[in-house]
Amino acid sequence: MSKYAQLITDLHEEKYLVEGLKERGYEVEVHPEGAPLGRYFSEQEAKTAHVIIRRSHLKGAFGDIGFARQPDGRLVAIVDELDQQCGYGAKWLGRVQQLYKEKQTLATARAKGYILKSREVVETRDGQQVRLQFVVRR
Amino acid sequence: MLEKMITITIDVQGNAAIDLEGFEGRGCEKAFEDFRGGDRVTVERKKPAYYTSRQPEQKKTQR
Repeated sequence: MSKYAQLITDLHEEKYLVEGLKERGYEVEVHPEGAPLGRYFSEQEAKTAHVIIRRSHLKGAFGDIGFARQPDGRLVAIVDELDQQCGYGAKWLGRVQQLYKEKQTLATARAKGYILKSREVVETRDGQQVRLQFVVRR
Repeated sequence: MLEKMITITIDVQGNAAIDLEGFEGRGCEKAFEDFRGGDRVTVERKKPAYYTSRQPEQKKTQR
């Protein structure tokens, strides 16, 4: 029997998120207890996050970008609306999640004894997909 | 015997598709759970191996 499934990625594991962001060249702060996000306009609502990229490391950004731990364990991105329109929107976040998922998948495979057979980047109309193939260790 | 193969395709939004081939019985579910992690499943379907192997034969008898 074989099986096919589609999954929605949730960011749960901080280390893969941090690794992915660093791989993209960002300096990342990790605050286990949370820390305030810098704002551009003083009247904006104050927010805290557990993983933060300061705006000084985000080209053209108006505010910091953060990932806040939710009660259910997920890390949810906090991006200023202005910044969403300036290169840090759905496409940027998608790339972050893609790197996260790849790192998480490779680590899981290593830990569970699967063997990476190939890694392929596939160009699609929407952008690059990453295809990983594993075989079961005999 | 088919090689047990797991293909993970991660799209531009970071969501993944898992394709398991050549598995039998519980091994399929175990591999699926290993790679699912804590992610939510939106689509799931089983693909019995005999379906693909019998397909050409069925076509022949229809003619």
